[in-house]
Amino acid sequence: MNINFLDKFLKIIMSPKVFSYTLIWLIVLVFFGTIAQKDIGLYASQMKYFSSFYFLFLGFIPLPGGRLVLLLMTINLFSSMFKRNLWQLKKIGIVIVHLGGLLLLVGGGLTAYFSSEGNMVIAEGEATNYVDDYHNMELAFVNNSLKDSIEYTVVDESLLYEGSRFQIFDEGPEIYVISNIKNVRIENRISPADSIYKGLLEKFVLLPKRPEAENTQNRPALIYKIEGTSNRSDGIYGLFLGQGLNDPFKIKDQIFHSEYRRERTYVPFDIQLIDFEKVMHPGTNVAKSFSSDVNLIENDIPRRTLIKMNEPLRHKGYTFFQASFIDDSEIETTVLATVKNYGRLFPYISSIIMSIGLLIHLLLMMPKMVKGKPK
Amino acid sequence: MNSIKINISFFYFFFFLANFLIVPLSAFEVQNIPVQSEGRIKPLDTFARNMLLTFYGKREIKDQNIKATDWLLDLILDPERGRDLKVFNIRNPEVVSSLFLEWSTQHKYSFNEIINGIKNQVELIKTIDQKESQDRTPFEKQLLELSQSAIMFEELSYMKNIKLIPPALLDENAVWQSPFDFIISGVTPAYHQEEILNSLQKYLAARFQKNDLEMNDALFNYEKIVSDLSLSPVDVKKLKGETWMNDVNLFVKSLAFYILSFLLIGISWMAKPSFFRNISFMSLIIGFLIHGYGIVMRMYIMGRPPVSTLYESVIFVSFILLLLAVALEYFRKDGLGIFVGSIGGSILHFIGFSYAADGDTLGMLVAVLDSNFWLATHVTTITIGYGASLVAGFIGHLYLIQNILDSSNSKKLKSIFNNLFGMTLFALFFTLFGTILGGIWADQSWGRFWGWDPKENGALLIVLWQLLMIHSRLAGIAKPPLFALGMGLNNIIVALAWFGVNLLQVGLHSYGFDDGVAKNLYLFILLEILICCGLYYYPKFKFKFQSV
Repeated sequence: MNINFLDKFLKIIMSPKVFSYTLIWLIVLVFFGTIAQKDIGLYASQMKYFSSFYFLFLGFIPLPGGRLVLLLMTINLFSSMFKRNLWQLKKIGIVIVHLGGLLLLVGGGLTAYFSSEGNMVIAEGEATNYVDDYHNMELAFVNNSLKDSIEYTVVDESLLYEGSRFQIFDEGPEIYVISNIKNVRIENRISPADSIYKGLLEKFVLLPKRPEAENTQNRPALIYKIEGTSNRSDGIYGLFLGQGLNDPFKIKDQIFHSEYRRERTYVPFDIQLIDFEKVMHPGTNVAKSFSSDVNLIENDIPRRTLIKMNEPLRHKGYTFFQASFIDDSEIETTVLATVKNYGRLFPYISSIIMSIGLLIHLLLMMPKMVKGKPK
Repeated sequence: MNSIKINISFFYFFFFLANFLIVPLSAFEVQNIPVQSEGRIKPLDTFARNMLLTFYGKREIKDQNIKATDWLLDLILDPERGRDLKVFNIRNPEVVSSLFLEWSTQHKYSFNEIINGIKNQVELIKTIDQKESQDRTPFEKQLLELSQSAIMFEELSYMKNIKLIPPALLDENAVWQSPFDFIISGVTPAYHQEEILNSLQKYLAARFQKNDLEMNDALFNYEKIVSDLSLSPVDVKKLKGETWMNDVNLFVKSLAFYILSFLLIGISWMAKPSFFRNISFMSLIIGFLIHGYGIVMRMYIMGRPPVSTLYESVIFVSFILLLLAVALEYFRKDGLGIFVGSIGGSILHFIGFSYAADGDTLGMLVAVLDSNFWLATHVTTITIGYGASLVAGFIGHLYLIQNILDSSNSKKLKSIFNNLFGMTLFALFFTLFGTILGGIWADQSWGRFWGWDPKENGALLIVLWQLLMIHSRLAGIAKPPLFALGMGLNNIIVALAWFGVNLLQVGLHSYGFDDGVAKNLYLFILLEILICCGLYYYPKFKFKFQSV
């Protein structure tokens, strides 16, 4: 009974029909997921349609997302490898091609779950050892009162939703998140502010603006309240990404300030930018190439390398790509896209395997094709 | 008999080849003078044509039979006359009336006619200039463009924006100067700079006096200096080649042969089938060779693989389509390949021309694309895939037509189907590997193999669709006519992946787009659906009707 059921289940899961249906659904997903990018941007659409197991159509109808479809496809392909009549010499090329395809899917899965990416931003002459996340933010409280060090207390994006309450120290003051703004517009106050507003908010208001389709073009901001400092620092504070002056406040005689910044991931080495260079096509505004001359500093030993477009630096599983630059002041700043991906080699290997499979298939078919010709 | 025909076609081929090889030996003309513009060194001819294209909308003034270079030089030598020549093409009645001009159906106005109207609206133009480009109305856009063109025109007349003088220290990335800038700056010229200025002056003076001998003398000198420049990106042979390309317009010629070939194959269905089919095939091959030569010349001039812009992709995809069509015809010998090649080639040529008119199509590339290795592998592979997919699409149509015309001839149907299936496999191979290679390129330069970017998704859609078709055929779910329908509709997916993704303007590799294309694209999709589904369902309805 039980075995019978398992048998039936296996039959369904390996049937070519499953492949056809998942393929059709994937086509639909890719089509609409691409169209949707015009309105909601690449990242949001990717999250909704491709990197999800399901999504809500029209807000209430759950439909399978990209991950579920690809997972089903992988299982279908994997189980169909066990079909008895498949393993024949004349089909070996085709089997190899499908194994390559399977590997591609598995690699995609690994990448989806075990890769991380972000930007490393370095100004000329400076060194950095952390990567900024593309999407997630963090709130850092900086203690400036310690003698020979600076103490950071960092709050994750997951705690920064509207209405969230948390304490940053035991028995410390309570932080209450009033609003988390995806894209902010900063305007002057028309009338004097209530005394509860501190620092930046005494003179300005932070208003939400329609978020851009591309997340990197947004300027996020956070408005939060501090309660229980037992001094006059209690009040409402505002912070936005890239804010120059930070408002100080006191907790138990120690002076703090807070920063709202992109979530940082630290790497076990430093990268120092020696020189950033960009070459333009002569007489135009079209860039011909960018490159960053950097020192990779590990255990105080520097190693000099050049990161160029299409020629990244790879070190300890991290890869640094010349992605962009900031050129608005006298100092040039390079932006290196940083990726750590365990599934990186899969597409390379699988495309080689698929090529081999096709070649074998072609060789096996050759006698038949040659025979067919002289007609 | 057949071998004689083949010999004749070979003779034609060598005749053409000989013609082409003579090109670089031709004399150095004023059109060949090197100018730096839009990031590369090009002949004065290309520069003048692009300028004229900006003002006039065409690359020469046909109705008065004035070539671009002549127009430019006449403007420099006699600015007063040049300002009275009607070279500004204004098609917006609002713009015309804002300049206080009479609306003319020729749409052509002279510099002297428009300049006062522009001067009166300087304040308006300034405010338009400060707006974001997407906030400008069509009127504002065109008025702004016109005022910019007028400035450009004025600068041309005293050679302010014609960068003819190479820098003192020759270097590939150095910026050239115009004679005007050079004289204004007052720097002592280096030897080669002085020589170039002298020859230029001598040439212009001789041209003004219409002294051919002196003109030739000056040009001879000019060529000598330019060829002797070491360490510079000037290559006189390339300059000559490009001028020649501008003149002969190879792709117009190949189009002419494709259309001729289509007409001939049409005639062959009515009279003397084998005779006309042979001439038609020959015409197709000649067109194909010219087409290929044009691509080779472009590669030679730009020093990069065949495809790097949308325009080039159209030209190259049609080349692949023709290659496959010629091969198909060679094996089948029944006109099918000619039909696919002549129609597909002609349509793609027309699409290509609509992109060529957008500006200098021999332009430079942004940094991330400027990688010959990946352009050669990924882009070429994927465009071969597009070409093969289109051929498969055409054969799909023909299968459906044959199915209606003569469904009893199962042998012919089967042979067409075999070609269709084979072509689909071929197409899948290239689209699949092209897409994977694209992912690998993305991994190499941006650090991610796949980002669900519209261009990637477009390519993926083609792959998925073809996988679906092949698997449902192999599993017996789709019968041959359904498969043919699917591959016919595949054309829509190719068009969407190729042109449609640029409509979305997101992601890393969209190369610019205009609204007219969107309309044509929707029209194409609608037509394809109607034609394919019509062809597929017609026999079924007919059968039902008859059985009733």
